[in-house]
Amino acid sequence: MTTESMSAGGDPRRLLSDVRGLTHRVRLDQRLTWLALLVLGLVTLVGIPFDWFGMRVNCASDGSCEFARRGVLFYWPPALLLAYAGITVSYIRAARARGLGARVLPYAITGAALTVLFTAAWVAAALYFPDHPVRFPSWVLVVDRLIAPWGVIGVALLVLARVERNVALLLFTLGYLAVALTLPTNEGWGTSWGIRADFAIPQVICGIVLLLGATGFAVASRRHR
Amino acid sequence: MTAEAPEPQMSSGHPVTGLDEVVHQRVRLGILAIAHEARRVEFGYLRSQLDLTAGNLSKHLSVLEMASLIDVEKGYEGRRGRTWVTLTAAGSTALAEEIKRLKLLITQIESTDTPED
Repeated sequence: MTTESMSAGGDPRRLLSDVRGLTHRVRLDQRLTWLALLVLGLVTLVGIPFDWFGMRVNCASDGSCEFARRGVLFYWPPALLLAYAGITVSYIRAARARGLGARVLPYAITGAALTVLFTAAWVAAALYFPDHPVRFPSWVLVVDRLIAPWGVIGVALLVLARVERNVALLLFTLGYLAVALTLPTNEGWGTSWGIRADFAIPQVICGIVLLLGATGFAVASRRHR
Repeated sequence: MTAEAPEPQMSSGHPVTGLDEVVHQRVRLGILAIAHEARRVEFGYLRSQLDLTAGNLSKHLSVLEMASLIDVEKGYEGRRGRTWVTLTAAGSTALAEEIKRLKLLITQIESTDTPED
């Protein structure tokens, strides 16, 4: 053992503490959580007019209405894929500028895979259910909300929290998912403002939650630097 | 550390004897820890985080490269020269073993730390 290695740093507790401190510093420097949440929040809010104007509504004389959310199917798959691509490129560029590698790829792959899953599920539902009406148990509706765009955003964020070992993001995502799964994002709010507004309100709430998260993480990130 | 490593061999029964001199040096351990977490780290980042001069850091990197614990890749970004450091599989294993030994050492120290009469 060299004299150098027996200096103050030779104390095993101190060495382990140094290692933990350095790895924590690297993790903080690799993160760009606020940007991911900002992009997803904006994508959510921009999606509202697409849903609003892309929705086909046919109301019968007895007051019952049938609707088809074509806008969701046309807007969300490309929007989410572009968002994940943009987030990935930004993460890699920011980490590289700081002199580090990035850990964002598992998040981007999960996000893209979930987008494909959501698209397939919604296309299948749009083709099958109009001719085969089914009354689902409540747990199916929870799964339905999980694979809706507002749900898959949250599920993918859980993966980002894992790869970043980011406890704050994990807690935020659990809160966001609680909101997204509780709000009737793909069933309508049930107000008297019309069916389009019924669907828009939960999306506004999800978008605002994501933007508030982005603001919080941006402030925290600025304090760390 | 997430890297799995084989169980350290404690021939004499004390973890100190199993410590690798190349890895068990504060700066070199720091380089390995940062490279493990970052996957790829640039020379300037290491220098600022470990608070070293360029010459001193280069010496430590050479020791680690000679021991095949890191790969050093030199290149350019525009006109600016950049040196990137990546942990090898052997480096990852050595780091995991070192962490294991340090934890073992701390456990032994704590278990033999009896209050004086």
